[in-house]
Amino acid sequence: MSTTNPTPDVPAESGATGGLLSRLRRSTGAPADAARARRRSKHRRRMTNVAGLMAALVLTGVGYSAVAPANAADDAIASQSSAEEAGQALYERSCISCHGSNLQGVADRGPSLIGVGEAAVYFQVHTGRMPLVRQEADAVRKPAVFSDAEIDQLMAYVQANGGGPTLPSGDLRDGDVAAGGELFRLNCASCHNFVGQGGALSSGKAAPSLEDANDLEIYAAMLSGPENMPVFGDNQLSPDEKRSIIDYVQTLKEQADPGGLGIGRSGPVAEGLVIWLVGIGALLFGIFWMGTKA
Amino acid sequence: MATTAVAPGQPTTKIGKAATEIDERLIVAGPLRRSLNKVFPDHWSFLLGEIALYSFVILLLSGTYLTFFFDASMSETVYQGAYAPLRGVEMSQAYESTLALSFDVRGGLLIRQIHHWAALLFVASIVVHLVRIFFTGAFRKPRETNWMIGVVLLVLALLMGVTGYSMPDDLLSGTGLRIISAILLSIPVIGTWAHWAVFDGDYVGDAIIGRFYIVHVLILPAIILALIVVHLLLLIKQKHTQFPGPGRTEHNVVGNRLFPAFAGKATALFFIVFGLCAALGGLVQINPIWLWGPYNPAQVSAGSQPDWYIGFLDGSTRLFPAWDINLPGDYTIPALFWPTVVVAGAMFTVLALYPQLERKLTGDTASHHLLQRPRDVPVRTSVGVMALTFYGVLWMSGGNDLIADKFDISLNAMTWVGRIGMIVVPPIAYMATYRICLGLQRHDREVLEHGIETGVIRRLPSGEFIEVHQPLGPVDEHGHGQLSYGGAPVPKKMNQVGGARRAIKGFFKPIEQVSDVELGSRREQRGLAAAEAERDQLTRSGRPSEGGRPSDGGRPQDPRD
Amino acid sequence: MSTGDHPGSHGGEEAQGPLYGGPDDDYTPAQLAGMDKESLNRLGARYDGVEVLHVDPPPAPGSGLEKQAERQVSMAFGAAGLFALLFAVVYVGSGWFLPDWQWASTDNGWSALYTPLLGLTMGGALAFIGVGLVLFVKKLLPHETAVQDKHDGSQFDRSTTAATLMGGLDKTGFPRRKMIGRSLGFAGGALGLMLVAPLGGFIKNPNTGNPLGTTPWAEGVRLVRDDGTPIRPGDQEPGSLETVFPAVAGGNVAADAATMLIRLRPEQIRALEPRKGQADFGYGDYVAYSKICTHAGCPVSLYEQETSRILCPCHQSQFDVTQGAKPVFGPASRSLPELPITLDDEGYFVARSDYIEAVGPTYWNRERI
Repeated sequence: MSTTNPTPDVPAESGATGGLLSRLRRSTGAPADAARARRRSKHRRRMTNVAGLMAALVLTGVGYSAVAPANAADDAIASQSSAEEAGQALYERSCISCHGSNLQGVADRGPSLIGVGEAAVYFQVHTGRMPLVRQEADAVRKPAVFSDAEIDQLMAYVQANGGGPTLPSGDLRDGDVAAGGELFRLNCASCHNFVGQGGALSSGKAAPSLEDANDLEIYAAMLSGPENMPVFGDNQLSPDEKRSIIDYVQTLKEQADPGGLGIGRSGPVAEGLVIWLVGIGALLFGIFWMGTKA
Repeated sequence: MATTAVAPGQPTTKIGKAATEIDERLIVAGPLRRSLNKVFPDHWSFLLGEIALYSFVILLLSGTYLTFFFDASMSETVYQGAYAPLRGVEMSQAYESTLALSFDVRGGLLIRQIHHWAALLFVASIVVHLVRIFFTGAFRKPRETNWMIGVVLLVLALLMGVTGYSMPDDLLSGTGLRIISAILLSIPVIGTWAHWAVFDGDYVGDAIIGRFYIVHVLILPAIILALIVVHLLLLIKQKHTQFPGPGRTEHNVVGNRLFPAFAGKATALFFIVFGLCAALGGLVQINPIWLWGPYNPAQVSAGSQPDWYIGFLDGSTRLFPAWDINLPGDYTIPALFWPTVVVAGAMFTVLALYPQLERKLTGDTASHHLLQRPRDVPVRTSVGVMALTFYGVLWMSGGNDLIADKFDISLNAMTWVGRIGMIVVPPIAYMATYRICLGLQRHDREVLEHGIETGVIRRLPSGEFIEVHQPLGPVDEHGHGQLSYGGAPVPKKMNQVGGARRAIKGFFKPIEQVSDVELGSRREQRGLAAAEAERDQLTRSGRPSEGGRPSDGGRPQDPRD
Repeated sequence: MSTGDHPGSHGGEEAQGPLYGGPDDDYTPAQLAGMDKESLNRLGARYDGVEVLHVDPPPAPGSGLEKQAERQVSMAFGAAGLFALLFAVVYVGSGWFLPDWQWASTDNGWSALYTPLLGLTMGGALAFIGVGLVLFVKKLLPHETAVQDKHDGSQFDRSTTAATLMGGLDKTGFPRRKMIGRSLGFAGGALGLMLVAPLGGFIKNPNTGNPLGTTPWAEGVRLVRDDGTPIRPGDQEPGSLETVFPAVAGGNVAADAATMLIRLRPEQIRALEPRKGQADFGYGDYVAYSKICTHAGCPVSLYEQETSRILCPCHQSQFDVTQGAKPVFGPASRSLPELPITLDDEGYFVARSDYIEAVGPTYWNRERI
């Protein structure tokens, strides 16, 4: 239960206003929710307006101290257990047929969820991979079936009954972007490509593109090793290293292409298509036009 | 008259005097006039080789610029430049200087990208040029030597490309370099020696980038430049080929004189090609090495591909089965040897020797200056299409992982598609092309015999409906045309024989008088009635010895209709 | 004093030789001066074997057609100039009166548009020059059709040239003076050899010290990560892969040392079939395979932990981790070599020896060393 969750001790300086406010509004208390909400403000890392940020922090702190103390303690316990119950209900409705009544899995249908932890639940459900529509070479990203609140409940249930890796808190891009790049190229690029585009694996499987992946999903994937992806435990890639990798991936995604159209950033194949279709194509038209009489 | 000391014909203008001064010393007027008067046949497909030439000029210009900033050294350094996601990463000087010339040199990225696009265009235009030469039979005697030089130029262009894109020492090209090393090692007997000679030791060493650099900026360009000069001198000496047509024979060239029309168009094409490369260089990002990262032998990326012109070799390597040949004495011929060294070697050897092969097989030893329409040589055309299809399957397989990923196909299935496809598809392409060629040939002869389909339907007194055909020339008593096929395009639409007046010029409103155009077309003897006299010229090539079967085209047949 | 006074300045007779002649005899300067440009042009062409068959005149001066063509050509050249000017403005002005051109990876503004703008303006300027020229040639120049004779070789030339060559050869007497011929042939061959001999500087013996068959791995060398930290068995989760390097100087940049340390899942261990004689190469649920593909040397490591396959991204060879990294698909023919591993006294992974076979691509005498 709550013992497996590290208490959401968010350092004030790393929590941005959006995250704290949303946590006040919804007061679910699950760390994933907080982290997720915090992540929403996309460019919050840009310290372009430090003064504004500080002011907002102060205001938020004041607001928090005014509202929170009254019901925070009660809520923490009450919402925890009620979240698990709600999660169990969701589980029994949508997951039980493949993963079994006690998370033990069902042969030829679904794996055991014992020990996968809330990280795996978050990744699979938030990317819409679970619930699975049909068995294929691998599950693909879809719009999520459950709302964020429901995902939190499912996570609470699985974490409480199966245990396993938990989700981090704090700024998931708080790393060294260059070091993250080195780690990404060593550990991730072989399947996900230089720029996180993904790539084909054997027999119809594929490493997905990281285009739509958010910070927490990437973190959860590394932690839980979904499907064919190897696991990158915290002793293998430390949380700092994971944050660096996420920082690198997201930096590349947000970065412009200084040389013009990126043509998918997919390298020579796209470049070859361009030179043949655009280059040779345009020149053929050109010389054809030159050859015709006025 | 007596007051002027100027002899008759002496120039009076300043430029004229200067020109005379020059000619008195260099005696260039004669050769210059001969050059200016040189006649070039006018056909759009004859400009394809020029595109390659101009790409090469652009490559020389942009490449020279790049050498001032590029440092072909493999010694390690730590990046501290403008691109933040790599700051603090260890990399080679070559990679660092490429980053610097992309980000810290004003306009450097543009020049680098122009250079790379021009390189892709260079090889692509050589290939298109080669395809044109092949399918029109322009390689036949006396031009076999020039064909061979062309094939050598193509191979050198590929080497130029490989040495060029390997130089930045990024993770993508480094992976390619690793494969080049493995290919060298795979050569039987001398493989390891060849590798040690090229890499100065074991992979990767610290010499290869520097060596590639000198090969890329000095040795290969010098050879290519020399060969291009020979290529063009031979072209000028042998004169350009031309398509058959009215007045065109094996012993003349019909077209424009070099000056001013041809020179104007050639200069225009240079600017257009340069403009295209510049536009691509700025507007479409190519080889963004900062995204690939520096080379590290332990790292790799999914979807690593070579530039397009090496793709066919990557494809053949992917498709070839794992057949190591173990010889007695514990020697091995690695499977990698076949799809790379042998396939590439065989393809380019056959290509270079094709003119000789065709001479041997057809027994045609005559000189040819008139081109052939592909349909008239169905075997060669089909062989060419077959070869292109084979190449195409290999090429596609070179990117089969990306195709598998983007179109959600199994990678293993793509490999098998390529393996089966490279054996099955080319013969099918051969047969299909052959039939199409024969069909087009028959249609040409059909039109010569029965005339152009006018679309006018007439009902005969018997009730039968027939379509009225417009004969192209005089007819015999059965109404069959008496023209023979001469290798030139046969008009198949009424407009092509002057069935309609040409369009009035002007986009929004006419800018010519309709009556002028009408008069002009009469003066130019356009239109059916006016063309009576020229009819027998329409399809004749002037070479009775070959092309078509003169006995066939206009032969009277049993009256049927 | 005339030039003729100098001793030696007489090159020969001033009079023209008997073979002198040609067009200058046919057309005196006075005759040429009397001809107009067009007939001179045609005359010269005729001397070069060119006959102008037909000329489509350009549009009549002052006609609507000509005006339109002139307008189009001028517009093209004008656009070219404008683009070129814009290029200069963008190039020079950035960082002066325009925002800075230098791109940082966080900037999606002007500096990211800088190169595209340069390309657009430069491409536009050059292409419009070309377009203008084409329009000019097509619409404002007379379109002439000329025909030029093509000369086949002449038997006269062949005979006389052959005679000259053979006569020269006869005079040298080489066909007769065999000794000179032979000695010259010998000297030529030897000189050729001398000239290519310095290429020997490229030749190195690849078999000294067996560099292809050995790697920096050796007994007791620790398995470390890229940053140099050693690894304990507890560090990896089941179903994980870590690229490890030998703990020696330069180990993490050696081209043949990269190794994949894989912790198998329990199901994989149950299915494990190591290669013959290599059953003890792993340690517990850990196995270590070379990362260098046995086909063309790319780093493999697209590890599918559920299907136990390792895929090479270059040519799609697939290796099965539970079968001693045996190739199961694609062009690779050999298993990835396995590194024998154990733990040292401090509980960190170490190699028990170097790889027992050559890593990386196959070569001619691989089996022999």
